[in-house]
Amino acid sequence: MNPDSDLLLSIKDLKVHFVGDGPVAKAVDGVCVQVHRGQTVCIVGESGCGKTVTALATLGLLKQPPAVIAGGSIAFDGLKMLEMTPSQLREVRGSRISMIFQEPMTSLNPVFTIGDQVAEAMTAHKQLNEDQLKKRVIELLTDVGIVDADHRMGDYPHQLSGGQRQRVMIAMALACEPDLIIADEPTTALDVTVQAQILALLKALKQKKNMALQYITHDLGVVAAIADQVYVMYAGLVVEQGPAHAIFSNARHPYTLALLDSLPTKEKRGKRLYSIPGSVPHPAYRPVGCPFHPRCSSKRSFCETDFPAMCDYGEGHRARCPVLFDAQAGEGGA
Amino acid sequence: MNKAEKGLLRVEGLKKYFPVRRGFFQRVASHVKAVDGVDFSISSNQTLGLVGESGCGKSTVARLILRLLPPDGGSVRFDGQDITAMTERTFKPMRKRIQMIFQDPYSSLNPRMTVAQSIRDGVRMAGIKDKTKQRDRVGQLLEMVGMPAVSAGRYPHEFSGGQRQRVGIARALSVSPQLILCDEPISALDVSIQAQIINLLKDLQQALGLSYLFISHDLNVVSYICDHVCVMFRGRIVESAPADLLFEKPLHPYTLKLLDAVPETAVVGWSPRIDGTEKQTQAEYGCAFGSQCPDVEEFCKKAPAPMVDVGGGHLVRCWKAAETHRTF
Repeated sequence: MNPDSDLLLSIKDLKVHFVGDGPVAKAVDGVCVQVHRGQTVCIVGESGCGKTVTALATLGLLKQPPAVIAGGSIAFDGLKMLEMTPSQLREVRGSRISMIFQEPMTSLNPVFTIGDQVAEAMTAHKQLNEDQLKKRVIELLTDVGIVDADHRMGDYPHQLSGGQRQRVMIAMALACEPDLIIADEPTTALDVTVQAQILALLKALKQKKNMALQYITHDLGVVAAIADQVYVMYAGLVVEQGPAHAIFSNARHPYTLALLDSLPTKEKRGKRLYSIPGSVPHPAYRPVGCPFHPRCSSKRSFCETDFPAMCDYGEGHRARCPVLFDAQAGEGGA
Repeated sequence: MNKAEKGLLRVEGLKKYFPVRRGFFQRVASHVKAVDGVDFSISSNQTLGLVGESGCGKSTVARLILRLLPPDGGSVRFDGQDITAMTERTFKPMRKRIQMIFQDPYSSLNPRMTVAQSIRDGVRMAGIKDKTKQRDRVGQLLEMVGMPAVSAGRYPHEFSGGQRQRVGIARALSVSPQLILCDEPISALDVSIQAQIINLLKDLQQALGLSYLFISHDLNVVSYICDHVCVMFRGRIVESAPADLLFEKPLHPYTLKLLDAVPETAVVGWSPRIDGTEKQTQAEYGCAFGSQCPDVEEFCKKAPAPMVDVGGGHLVRCWKAAETHRTF
């Protein structure tokens, strides 16, 4: 593990609840995530498991109310993000942490040219004159692989393809050379070949600028491709975390195992795909005990009542399932 | 490829050009060749995969088969009859035998109609006039796709994406079709839900003897579900082979590029062999893939490559690949 001086983002026991007319929806319920400098951390899980809410809370982008930060802390390079004023947050957002959103079609403004939009963050955070700004925009667009950038910077979003728009989003995120980029499913809407290009691009830029990347996705293929550390989330909780190779070769939570089993591959041809029965519980009606127990294939009777503790497998690999932990310990002892 | 008589659906030389209009008088300046001579056939109880990037014309092919768009050339034969030559009146009964499942379960269901109403339209079209029988059939269809009977009276917004896709499938089944065109049916869904829908499609195929045209850009899914795969590039099929053959021994450089781009869970720390810059300039190449091909030769510029059979039902549209891999 890296020494603590490299620790860039530390989310501790974060709880985000949504208060409305009905019962309180506990979208994020005690999540701990650590991101070190130069690292790629992937957060995996199905829709509704709290991945995006965690990211939005980190950036102070949640609308409060309805959202309520019910507990926990977020420290970014020594700054306490949850206690900052909106103007202090604005200083950090866009310059030291930036975000790439899922839908490039909806997150780009259709009435401004892409050059203007890439330049916007720099005008807000850096003192640059017009020539320097233009030079930097062209440099950024070239960096993300947009050919003929000095002409294309005058284009409007509708003149670009989906992949190009996502590249523009990345250029915007990179504009102030942030320490951390949070990417929320940036390639979900794209073709495999374009996805491969974007992933390669993020990897290369990350190395060049020693940035950290927090990558949110439900695609385990992508996770295997880029992750150093993986966090698997289910129903507002981290159920398994660890180095990527440990998660893929030795998953120790039934949910992670089920996700891996449900992927169609050519090796599984002719066999029936494993599909997790039921669906993700609504955050307001979470089952007692282990939140995964109604869908779990290795459930024991105590899973219905006892909240599972994190079990440590060493090297930072931890999983919230005592059943599989005991099973492995039993094998080891015998 | 299959013998002509055997194929349930046979597509030959299918073409669709969209005009590009320019200038004050909106003169036709050029054409976008969305589908440019596509041939394939699907026999009954078979799944044919159509793979390619967005804009390669795969969805247009589905629309042409269903006559949602008029073709500019070629023929579509369903069960021996040429659909393209039919009048709308004679085609109407055929449409019951070919149905479609769309990508986006959110926008393909009418938000103001209950699930039962959406499905009942199809049931009525299938010739069931009696109201009680219609209701029974709707219940039966919902059960087939694994939805509880109480869901009949609910509206689409009350369901999750996976459930909505099940309703879409039930609606397609309501007229008892033989062929279902699936246009990216699972790409909008979560991983665990994808597995459920894939299993459902496979079960229905076995129970009802359906044929599928499975359009997707996800090669993992295609390798799992399809019997035969066609890879499309710029309106043309560049490689066509039985699924196991295609994934074991891909020949066309474009297929290789696609396969390379798929991140696999088996390989931690994968890196694609794809360069980051986009080359969109279409040079004076004969072969459409020439400008992006890593091992392009001088003769590739001369003429477009023909489809060559390299044995075992494996066809490839590449001079070099065909030359080096011919098995007879």
